[in-house]
Amino acid sequence: MSLAQISRLSVTQLVLRSQSHHLLSSVYPLIISKRTVIQEPYRRPGQPKENKFPWEKINFDLSKGLKGIKKNFALLKKEFVERWVGPEGKPIIEHMLEQNRVVWEFRGAESLEEWTVSSDREIGGQSEAYVKLGRNNNTCLLYGTLRSTPPRDGETRYSGYCTMRSKQQLASFDRKKHFDWTSFNTLHLRVRGDGRPWMINISCETFFAHQKDDIYNYFLYTRGGPYWQDVKLPFSKFFLTHRGRIQDDQHCLWLDKVNTIGFTLGDKVDGPFQLEIDFIGVCKDYAHTEEFAYEVYKRNPEV
Amino acid sequence: MKCARCLFQLQNLRWFGPCSAVARVRLLQPCPLQMQELRHFHHSRAVLKIRPTAPVEFIEDKEKNKKPIVQDDLFERVAKKNKTKATFNRVVDVFTKQDVRRRGHVEFIYAALKKMPEFGVEKDVTVYNKLLDVFPKEVFIPRNFIQTMFNHYPRQQECGVQLLEQMENYGVMPNVETKVLLLQIFGPKGHPMRKYQRLMYWFPKFKHVNPYPVPLQLPEDPVDLAKFSLNRIADDLDAKITVYQMPCTDLNESGQEITFPHIVGIQSPSQIDLLAKHNPKRPVFVEGPFPLWLKKICVYYYILRADPIPPEEKVEEPYDPERCFDYPLQLDLDLDRDLGDEENFDVEDLDEGPVFAMCMTNHGDQATLNQWISGLQETNPILGHIPTLFRLDSGTRELQVSVDFKPGPNQEHQESKPETEERTAEEVEEQPQIRHSMKQ
Repeated sequence: MSLAQISRLSVTQLVLRSQSHHLLSSVYPLIISKRTVIQEPYRRPGQPKENKFPWEKINFDLSKGLKGIKKNFALLKKEFVERWVGPEGKPIIEHMLEQNRVVWEFRGAESLEEWTVSSDREIGGQSEAYVKLGRNNNTCLLYGTLRSTPPRDGETRYSGYCTMRSKQQLASFDRKKHFDWTSFNTLHLRVRGDGRPWMINISCETFFAHQKDDIYNYFLYTRGGPYWQDVKLPFSKFFLTHRGRIQDDQHCLWLDKVNTIGFTLGDKVDGPFQLEIDFIGVCKDYAHTEEFAYEVYKRNPEV
Repeated sequence: MKCARCLFQLQNLRWFGPCSAVARVRLLQPCPLQMQELRHFHHSRAVLKIRPTAPVEFIEDKEKNKKPIVQDDLFERVAKKNKTKATFNRVVDVFTKQDVRRRGHVEFIYAALKKMPEFGVEKDVTVYNKLLDVFPKEVFIPRNFIQTMFNHYPRQQECGVQLLEQMENYGVMPNVETKVLLLQIFGPKGHPMRKYQRLMYWFPKFKHVNPYPVPLQLPEDPVDLAKFSLNRIADDLDAKITVYQMPCTDLNESGQEITFPHIVGIQSPSQIDLLAKHNPKRPVFVEGPFPLWLKKICVYYYILRADPIPPEEKVEEPYDPERCFDYPLQLDLDLDRDLGDEENFDVEDLDEGPVFAMCMTNHGDQATLNQWISGLQETNPILGHIPTLFRLDSGTRELQVSVDFKPGPNQEHQESKPETEERTAEEVEEQPQIRHSMKQ
């Protein structure tokens, strides 16, 4: 990472600052690495570079093709039909006036298909993270163990994280479908944690290629205990980060094309963790009039 | 220039050291770079010590001929037995006195940063300032715009940034001394100074963002820790804590020492009411241990709960109109809520059954929890008539619920439980008669 990048603050450290946290790797003194000039995706140290052409990576299969045709045409038909009902499949009066919308609720095994769980196993660490349905198939339980011993590849310095991220929603023919939350301004979660500090990541649709890893973050502090916790996070509090580093040029989260939401745990404490989520919804809080919580100062402020 | 203002500010804070009048005059000049006299390259004015510097013992005199290429050895040699802040400071002094040009200071600083946790000084801002003082001053400041553009002295800048990054990792807030040092070493536009500015912008914003803060110093006494954590999870300000047993050791009949663990419980008046209304035919469960993390410590708590009342048995008690005379608690209006006024989410309310009490204990086996239940019985006499089941497995802790509940305590063994990871469930039935005998 370049000097400019590493001199930005790392996001998960701030979680611990107020709680009394590590994201990914911080490359040891390699000042200008190739990864900054052309933004390549993360390549695990030690793995040889794949020199395949993009068309060589697709595998062609007849049964997969047939299944794809069935699925995509069904989605296409649904899209045509729901247009007659109203925008986004809801009657227009509901679309205009709704104040609360439940975006994800975990009632049944198919709700878990929409989520991807990963931990630092991918970079060679030893944490584990699993997701399963909670009791009575009514909630989602994300549990596992964190271990912050960094993998021994010479490059990675910190480790010990796990995340659960929602999958990108797809319309017919694998087009991206975005959430439109412009009529809402608060994220409402019902969770039951064990006292560990989590971080919520929202990623939106971007235009330029190097904005691909732009994520808007905020903290989710759990109280612990047997009672459910209602957490209301206004979208104006989310700050912009890129690859785990808070950026200088902050702007508020644009709600018209939201792609995914995710939960990350990266406090540097080794041990088991669990987080139970009942539902995730968005609502409009008329009492909240703040547009953005962070002022933007000059680019080269005087000392 | 603002850096002169910082220096002046620092003077007013700490200037009681033995300095000559000449030095004082020098400081009041506007810009240090334009001074003609001898410049303090290697020893920042900002870090002048209050007491006169004692001569540092050169333990390495004999080994001066051998160049210490690996800087870690320096730490091992100087601080063999005790690793404290004083010895750490001494190592840094040895290094600074060793060479006027500070050869190898970057490697030394990296090694020192790695060794800090061993010496226990990773959260101390004065130690970081002292380490920052190892850099020679004013050499790395760029003198024109081209040097500023092109990462002047990149390795040193990176080292400075890594030092600040370690401060960020441990949540240490830098102070004005850090700022002055960074100015003198890297100038106002270098990367370390930008990192410092970012630290000073974001840290205060997120310092108080936790709605359930945990104090920096948690109580050491397990009973106090239990009280604190029970208050935290109780979610009710009226809840009362009772210590049913303090930790003590006792001698058995055969002369063996038995340690009694502490038992601390909490219950709020609304929970007492709920328990009083509980149907004695339905059992209550003691479940646990559930983990609760407080910063780096994990404590375990147990709860007493019951299954949710099936809808046919739910009794809707009408509001007592005499409870509140200011306004009516129930209105029989025929108004409809519009779509725009819906304030609740369209999701079914999860009813997991009431939680009647919580407790924390060191050693959570059935005997200890039995003691807790008997202690609870004093305020909740109905517990004597209700069958209590113990579910003490050590797998993933989720509140378990019986899928098919059959009434009657004898049939509890056939309950099907949802799967958990390593389940070693112990379910034991407690008949009400046994409870009475224990009470006596």
